[in-house]
Amino acid sequence: MARTIDLLQGTLDLIVLKALSWGPMHGFGLARWIQHTTEDALQVEEGSLYPALYRMENRGWIKAQWALTENGRRAKYYKLTPAGKRQLAVELEAWARMSRAMGQIVNARGATA
Amino acid sequence: MLPDEDRVPTWRRYLRLVRDNPSGDVDDELAFHLQSTVDELVAGGMSLGDARAAARAKFGDLEQISRTLHTLSHQRERHMTRADLIDSLKQDVVFGLRQLRKSPAFTLVAVITLGVGIGASSAIFSVVRSVLMRPLPFANADRVVRLSQRNGSDEMWSVPYGNFDTWRQQARGFEAMGAIAGGGRVTLTGQGEPLPVPTFSATAGYWRALSMPPVLGRYFSADEDRHGARPVAVISQELWKDRFASRRDVIGRLITVNGQSYAVVGVAPNEYLLPHPPGDAIWLPVDASPSQLNEFGDHEWTVFALARRDVGLPAALRQVTQIDTRLARDHPHSFYDGTVTARPLTDVLVGGNRLVLYLLSGAVALVLLIACGNVANLLLARASVRRTEIAVRSALGASRGRLVAQMLVESVLLALAGAALGLGVAVAGIRFLASSPIPLARLNEARLDGAVVAFTLGLAVVCAILFGLAPALRAARLDLQQTLRDGGRNTRGESQHGLRQVLVVGELCLTLVLLVGAGLLIRSAFALAAVPVGFDTNDLLVFNVVLPESRYSNNDRTRAAFEAMESNIAAVPGVRAVARTQTPPIYGSGWNWTAQREGSNGHDAGAVVADMRFVSSSYFATLGVPMIRGRAFTAGDGSNAPLVAVVSRRLGERLWPGIDPVGRRISNGGDQWREVVGVAEDVHSDGPKHDVDPVLYIPAAQQPGQNSYAFLVRGAVPVTTLLPSIRRAVASVDPLIALSGVSTMDDAMGRLLALDRFTRVLLIALGITGLLLAMVGVYGVIGYFVTQRQHEVGVRIALGASSRSVHWLVVWQGLVLAGTGVVLGVPIALLVARFLGAFLFGITAHDPITYIVVAVLLALVAVLAAYGPARRATRIDPLEALRAT
Repeated sequence: MARTIDLLQGTLDLIVLKALSWGPMHGFGLARWIQHTTEDALQVEEGSLYPALYRMENRGWIKAQWALTENGRRAKYYKLTPAGKRQLAVELEAWARMSRAMGQIVNARGATA
Repeated sequence: MLPDEDRVPTWRRYLRLVRDNPSGDVDDELAFHLQSTVDELVAGGMSLGDARAAARAKFGDLEQISRTLHTLSHQRERHMTRADLIDSLKQDVVFGLRQLRKSPAFTLVAVITLGVGIGASSAIFSVVRSVLMRPLPFANADRVVRLSQRNGSDEMWSVPYGNFDTWRQQARGFEAMGAIAGGGRVTLTGQGEPLPVPTFSATAGYWRALSMPPVLGRYFSADEDRHGARPVAVISQELWKDRFASRRDVIGRLITVNGQSYAVVGVAPNEYLLPHPPGDAIWLPVDASPSQLNEFGDHEWTVFALARRDVGLPAALRQVTQIDTRLARDHPHSFYDGTVTARPLTDVLVGGNRLVLYLLSGAVALVLLIACGNVANLLLARASVRRTEIAVRSALGASRGRLVAQMLVESVLLALAGAALGLGVAVAGIRFLASSPIPLARLNEARLDGAVVAFTLGLAVVCAILFGLAPALRAARLDLQQTLRDGGRNTRGESQHGLRQVLVVGELCLTLVLLVGAGLLIRSAFALAAVPVGFDTNDLLVFNVVLPESRYSNNDRTRAAFEAMESNIAAVPGVRAVARTQTPPIYGSGWNWTAQREGSNGHDAGAVVADMRFVSSSYFATLGVPMIRGRAFTAGDGSNAPLVAVVSRRLGERLWPGIDPVGRRISNGGDQWREVVGVAEDVHSDGPKHDVDPVLYIPAAQQPGQNSYAFLVRGAVPVTTLLPSIRRAVASVDPLIALSGVSTMDDAMGRLLALDRFTRVLLIALGITGLLLAMVGVYGVIGYFVTQRQHEVGVRIALGASSRSVHWLVVWQGLVLAGTGVVLGVPIALLVARFLGAFLFGITAHDPITYIVVAVLLALVAVLAAYGPARRATRIDPLEALRAT
């Protein structure tokens, strides 16, 4: 069993935005994408993905459209809006700053006197 | 294989074609997710039942998530509906603006029409608001009333001081009661140039009843009402500003009024002069002498009272009526029956002239309706041009509601543009109205404020619906296929034309009503002008001279001073004649004097209440009042000569019907008899609108103790140019005397008739506006008629119809419209004209000449409006007209 990480607040948004930056995806696909990409390291409860998607849609970051899947079933596909793309850039930048800061903390050699 | 229960029902898919279904979307999406997981697990070898349980477990709390999603999804839906609405409104506005820009001629005509209608309405509204709707600035204005006595059906406006004093002491239903009376003009000296100032006598209760705090200092106290109290004065805000530079140390200063000193105790705000505009004024205490307290017959005082909140006005009035009934019993022949009535302060201050405002409000409303009719007509004409556009839009899926909304948005845009222009019109209108010299309280305070702007915008929206709804509904009801098939050519012109005709006939009706109103007023003005007032008003200068009692307590000295002034003025080159009287005609009445012939007991036909005026001997010659019998006064009718009188024709006829009054004797109930030496022609002392009063003239020399006189100076040259010389002539007798109330008789007549002229001019202006608008309306409809009948006219011309008969065919259309308008409008006008009754003179509201002239005028205008289209019709080329079909 792989060790799992609890998701930080707001991280899920970044993950969804990043995932959709590759192209439109439906909710189920999105769940599988996260699972495969992180090799199950992130334990996202699949149901919790949807409220996040709906909130992002209400904020205008993503747009939904019904379309047929490869198997001929109707599914709701989400795709990034221009506002979503801008938001992704903002969050990536924030994430980079955060991880830089965390890295410096983790590698610090103790307080200087 | 999909189990049935998990499949999206087919009907729901079709439903989605019609509209979004947020609830269905959520359920479908979650079902898809679970089904995909189940498929995955089943493909991995799990049994269907286990797979379903596992999928649920993996998903989490399905119930709760589903609820959350429903909520979020509904939020979004609501948000989008609102956004959609705003969006479509934005689209409509942009589209509407583009449409309006595309036809600038139409837009311009519509906006100007609406601007005039809305602007006139707003200007009148601002006046109505200022004069009628704004609350009075007095603290308890709703409980303040003016009390008056009654004598049968007559209302006695003024009350004897004794009655007032008794009411004040005994009527417990009032918190405060006060009396005020005009004290005439006095000369204020010691503050720069001698200044004539109107004075009032007021009791302490007057200030308490009206209860508006002084600008400075205080008002009178109850002690100061008493006889012999310390002389104090309250001055008006304007006087304080002009003569005392608004200095606060004016309180306690002594001012000299007619030679007597008064200590200034307070400054009263301008509102106390209502309904008159702010001006100079001095209020003095009543100084009620014992004889005044016992005066129960001389109606002299205006009484204001503040009803107690807990008693209420009706109960308080019953109480004061009881008191006055007792007084009426104790003092018979005092012209009151004991009933006391009350009029609210607003009524008193605004007076009867509010009728003018109602009249004008009605007239502008008519003009606005005519304007709306015109714009509706223009819109209908445009709608028939825009048929193809509308048909295409509706074929592309625009719903009927959407089309109507779009047209209404266009109407509102038009109306708002009209309102913007209207605000400009209103500003000009308000300036004109506020500066017009008509006696309406607070008229000069009318301005364009927030309320007027709000009214204007509201009116614009109402107008937009009024003129826009019918054309919008009509356009949206259009038969789509038919129109598209016709390639946009109008095949339904008939009914369209019908509605436009109805609108134009309506406009003509309203115009007729307006014009009849204006016409009746014009006829009244002619009738008024035809009334001879009884004297020559041209080049007659009028002014007052008051001699201060302190220096002129001696009767001989006073008479000598006035006579010296009169002869000095007469010597001024350019002065043809000069005379004196206590009150000139047009300026008011003289004194009430019960004239009794010999043998009368004072209560029979031999006693007539006459208007007594004492006049200098040159009076009749100066005014140009002819003597029809006997002689005028002469210098010989002095104080020591036998007492004489001149009666007016009316008084002579009343006292001695069919007998020559000259040589008869007359008294006012005492044993002092005067011999009638002449009969003077009647004079309309209150102006041409009022009947002549019976007048008794007495020589000024035989009326001692008169300290103020009005001088009448007839010029051989324009009389105002003589004013400096006249001032010098007066100053040579007494340099401390100021002339007051300087005016020409013509100006005084003008002021008397100012309200009539104002009403007439405005009604004529509104009538002409309505007429022009209606003319445009007729032109439009006839023009449309010609366009519609191009083919028919072409055939007629081809068949040899003369251009005259074609011309007539078109003009006839105009006449039919005007005729219908007249037939329908006359009954309305007859009904409405009854409200004009109070403004009419010498004619009835059914004056046939007015109606005939207006009807002919409307017909002429309709013919004129039809002339252009008629010429166009005669020039129709039959070949072209036939080919075009």
